[in-house]
Amino acid sequence: MAANKAARMGEEVWKTRVDKVNAELVTLTYGTIVAQLCKDYENDYVEVNKQLDKMGYNIGLRLIEDYLAKSNTMRRCSNFRETAEMIAKVGFKIFLNITPTVTSWTSDSKQFSLIFEENPLADFVELPDDGRSQDELWYSNIFCGVLRGALEMVQMQVEAHFISDVLRGNDTTEMRITLIRYIDDEMPQDDD
Amino acid sequence: MTTAIPSIACLGVIGKNNNPLHIHTFPSAPSNTPILTALQFSLLLSSTLDIFAARSKAPSNTPNLSGDFGLLHAIDERLAAYGFETNTGIKFVAVVDMRGRIVSEEVAAKGMGLGLREGEMKVIFKSMQMAYIRLLQNPFFDPDEYSPPTGLGGKRITERKFIEDIRRIGETWRPGVAAVAS
Repeated sequence: MAANKAARMGEEVWKTRVDKVNAELVTLTYGTIVAQLCKDYENDYVEVNKQLDKMGYNIGLRLIEDYLAKSNTMRRCSNFRETAEMIAKVGFKIFLNITPTVTSWTSDSKQFSLIFEENPLADFVELPDDGRSQDELWYSNIFCGVLRGALEMVQMQVEAHFISDVLRGNDTTEMRITLIRYIDDEMPQDDD
Repeated sequence: MTTAIPSIACLGVIGKNNNPLHIHTFPSAPSNTPILTALQFSLLLSSTLDIFAARSKAPSNTPNLSGDFGLLHAIDERLAAYGFETNTGIKFVAVVDMRGRIVSEEVAAKGMGLGLREGEMKVIFKSMQMAYIRLLQNPFFDPDEYSPPTGLGGKRITERKFIEDIRRIGETWRPGVAAVAS
């Protein structure tokens, strides 16, 4: 029920309140950033993952404001499951027009997976054939940072990381998100 | 009864400084092996470069806007080379073996004529161009490394997706098809 509502809401916002840009512009811009990072860090992919996550974090801090304004939700999500639905069906929908699948909940409802059937960032991409990138680089790692940053601004500390990626030859692209705690005080958080 | 129809013997992608980027050879009937050796195909592609150069320099009343060079040269009674050049100087060459594939008479009669019309090569070049565009969109593909100014020492294309696309184009094309799966 809640899931349906979220999907409708995402659809509605996407149709009426979002400025669209050419998808290839996004794909190529992101691709260039990742390729340049790989060059700058001399193919130290672990470091590239970190940088992407950091960039995403800084985007997330700002993006959440836009999300709240566009989605017109003044109400808090009542639990983490609802949060997950909103991320997938509203958040990803209005910014990227995709709806990753929410699945694989742990029994304590603190950890779930997002499965990306499509990923506009990774269109056309083929990881470099150097024998390491396929094991080390998480090409879309910026998403993890975005979620971490955005959720932190609404008092949720989460940990997000990819566990599989079709670019690496896996069957699916899957991100694992874990709720660490609700931040109850309004003290400024450490910047990483 | 069977009859032989044209098939692709070799597809070549050549960079703007006349450096080879990718050469893919395909088996021909009846032995199901490439009709020439890799070196012979390579020489054949090299020889087409002069024709590209000559044709693009030759003054013409009808400037070639489509990039399609049509028949470059007929090598012998079996082989013929067709060419296409993009505005950025990337050349695609298709070497066709006029008797490269054996089919039954009925199949041949179904609109797939024995001869080859000029327009029938367009679909190959369009598909090759699409594959090349997709390759360029890959952020990890750096075109500069593949076209050194001297034309020497450039890298060959090794991206699996592109090679797979070219292979599929060569294998699925036959005279008269409207589109090649890609």
